[in-house]
Amino acid sequence: MSHISKIELEIKSLEDLKAACKELGLQFCDGQDTYRWYENTRGIDPASLPEDIKEQSRCDHAIKVPGARYEIGIVKQDDHYELRWDDYSTGGLVKKIGENAGLLKQAYTVQRIKKEARIKGYRINQKKVEHGIRLVLSA
Amino acid sequence: MKEIVVDVSDAGEVRIETRGFTGKACLKESQFLKDLLGKETYQQLTPAYYVNQKQQTKKYLTLCG
Repeated sequence: MSHISKIELEIKSLEDLKAACKELGLQFCDGQDTYRWYENTRGIDPASLPEDIKEQSRCDHAIKVPGARYEIGIVKQDDHYELRWDDYSTGGLVKKIGENAGLLKQAYTVQRIKKEARIKGYRINQKKVEHGIRLVLSA
Repeated sequence: MKEIVVDVSDAGEVRIETRGFTGKACLKESQFLKDLLGKETYQQLTPAYYVNQKQQTKKYLTLCG
């Protein structure tokens, strides 16, 4: 062994995020500019919502999750994308994508690593381990 | 055998471990993953990291007598 690192994930590739959505059975909505969450799904006319709620509802793209009432907003921030979503239980997102969108982040990470590692000529071994997925890259 | 082991938890946390490398090669070899995924928040170097790759391996024992 020679070193161990921990990484704080930043979503940088929409292409890999789309692939992750496909794998999880989620629908990526290119260019959808608002996403559904608690404040904008209470039956109030969208035009009458307060400005701060309208602002918080804006996004560049969105993800629809089958069986969930709320959606995930994707907002571009400089060189990466931020996921915005409401984890309130009635929205149904936690059940589908995990706490802190962990399952979606996991699927994205696996996609991203496998694609780039193949380009670099690594052999990839993937297996399910307790509480996650392990990828072993060997040259 | 040189390997990069990546564990991605169900919570979306990423842990990278390099195995079989000596010296700074492990950092260079795994840098592409760090660039790809985000920011490194923790790093622990292991004894193999400090092994000088140019160091000669002793192939025999000195006998006294």
